[in-house]
Amino acid sequence: MARPAGIFDVCYDQDIAIVRTVPQWITLGIFLIFLLLLPQLFPNRYLLNIINTIMIMTISVHGLNILTGFAGQISAGHAAFMGVGAYACASFMTFGGINYWVCIPLSGLTAGLVGILFGLPSLRLKGFYLIMATIAAQFIITAFFLHYKPEIFEGARGMSIKPVQLGNIIFNTQENLYYLIMPIAVIMTCFAQNLVRSRMGRAFVAIRDNDLAAEIMGINLFGYKLRAFFIGCFYAGIAGSLYTAFLRVVRPDQFTLMDSIWLLGIIIIGGMGSILGGILGVIFVRLLDEFVLWLTPSLSTILPADYASRISAAMGLVVFGLVVVLFLILEPRGLAHRWEILKERFRHWPFTYG
Amino acid sequence: MIALGIVIIFKSTKVFNLAQGHIMMVAVLLGATTSHKFGIIGGMIITIAVMACIALLLERLTLRPLIGQPLVAAFLMTIALSYLLEGGALMVWGEGLYNYPQLFPSEAIMISTIAIEQETLWAFVAVAVIFTAFVLFYRKVLLGKAMRATAEDHRISQSMGIRVTHIFSISWVIAAILAYVASLFLGSISGGHYLNSQLGLKAFPAVLVGGLDSITGAIMGGFIVGLLESFVTGYLSGEMGNVVPFIVLLIVILIKPYGLFGLVRIERI
Repeated sequence: MARPAGIFDVCYDQDIAIVRTVPQWITLGIFLIFLLLLPQLFPNRYLLNIINTIMIMTISVHGLNILTGFAGQISAGHAAFMGVGAYACASFMTFGGINYWVCIPLSGLTAGLVGILFGLPSLRLKGFYLIMATIAAQFIITAFFLHYKPEIFEGARGMSIKPVQLGNIIFNTQENLYYLIMPIAVIMTCFAQNLVRSRMGRAFVAIRDNDLAAEIMGINLFGYKLRAFFIGCFYAGIAGSLYTAFLRVVRPDQFTLMDSIWLLGIIIIGGMGSILGGILGVIFVRLLDEFVLWLTPSLSTILPADYASRISAAMGLVVFGLVVVLFLILEPRGLAHRWEILKERFRHWPFTYG
Repeated sequence: MIALGIVIIFKSTKVFNLAQGHIMMVAVLLGATTSHKFGIIGGMIITIAVMACIALLLERLTLRPLIGQPLVAAFLMTIALSYLLEGGALMVWGEGLYNYPQLFPSEAIMISTIAIEQETLWAFVAVAVIFTAFVLFYRKVLLGKAMRATAEDHRISQSMGIRVTHIFSISWVIAAILAYVASLFLGSISGGHYLNSQLGLKAFPAVLVGGLDSITGAIMGGFIVGLLESFVTGYLSGEMGNVVPFIVLLIVILIKPYGLFGLVRIERI
């Protein structure tokens, strides 16, 4: 990592620190305070709604990023694992009568265990076969919730829960939900950032880059692949349980193959194998969504009516497809890489090279 | 038939084309509209030409730059393409259902007591003809041999004087034409609609059960999955019919990762 001139690491703790210099600590502090005060600064329900979904998706994307971006095990069923977490949370609350705060880690664990179950083929499968296995997982899981035991999972109508409570705070407004989701998102991001630098994270990268070499280096392939599946799906489960609290209803059609593909698209746009990239990707895609929503009505005033209705139906698909195609061709390393380039430029300005 | 298209692309380019169903959907819609304008034969010719052009463009513009990129990139590219195609089709054709001209006589043929729709019969004939054609093509024709060589090893076939990039384009065009043939039957059975693309999803289990690089496997996998699905839909419930192919897929690839008819590659995972 590049540092300003004159700053040296004098002990190991400094060498491995993420936050190195005093200005960095200050910016981090300001950022956290900003996050804390955000609902007060922008008391806009719509904006807070967007930010809340961004943070929930960020947690889920971190999981997928660890699984796909770091460990290289492509999962096209990540939304289904989110669904497992959401359903686990809802059923623990309704039938187990368990407190929501205990439900969050519990649903993460459930999703993680289901993830291990569907990660088992990863020992023998690679590439497209693994993708297909995860797509199969996607269909099997959503069909399970749709048709199995309608008296528990309520089929297509979905399960609904009461608003989450802590003491006498009821998490039913966007602002309160923000304070429920934000700390968890920050903790999960911090954990992800540190996990990928740990022994386990480096093992994941080794498996992704060359599994044969990784095994020769003494990495237990099967164990680490399953761990990657567990952690990735744990994240998805946490995100799912937050989603339950956010929407207060869980339906199978919230977690379709399309959503899984969106998650994959997000990590491509943001940058695979980068925690920052996951965050940037979610924000970018969400803003793109809003942009399309904003653009469509204005398009319909210009174009004839029957054509406009077709456009509005297809716009989201086309824009998302186009953006992913462009990113794959022009910047396969995603927004995170662009951000790094920008930082380098800024640091060396007005020189081209440092 | 979709399965066959996927296999042909995968065999030579090692790209699993998830957009095959969507290509077929475009073919159905295009075929339906052009055949109303230019008559059945004219519509066929125009559609085939346009499909070939679309396939060429897709391959050249989107997948060529990705050669050498990791597998996720190509995988996501085909998905993004499928979104683009679906969205584009929605924009051009809207959500309406387009009637296909009557290609086959509508009265069913009776074989003793079983009534068989003529379309189904023709589809069987077409599959048989295409299958034999491909077997012959891959065995006898120089181009077919070149495609097999490319499937074996890109670098070596390149150094033997085969233009690998051309082979890629050709396989995409063949797959697009196959998609068109499939669309003929689909169109005459159910008409053109943008949701036809969902059928592509059903082809994946078929391909993987049969084995990704085997033409026999694609056809057998298609039969196995199709039969299973209609049995389950008939005897258990309609909803299960959509899931069972995937359960079968999961079991098959757990036991035989390369599919029932696939080429077994010795590779430690």
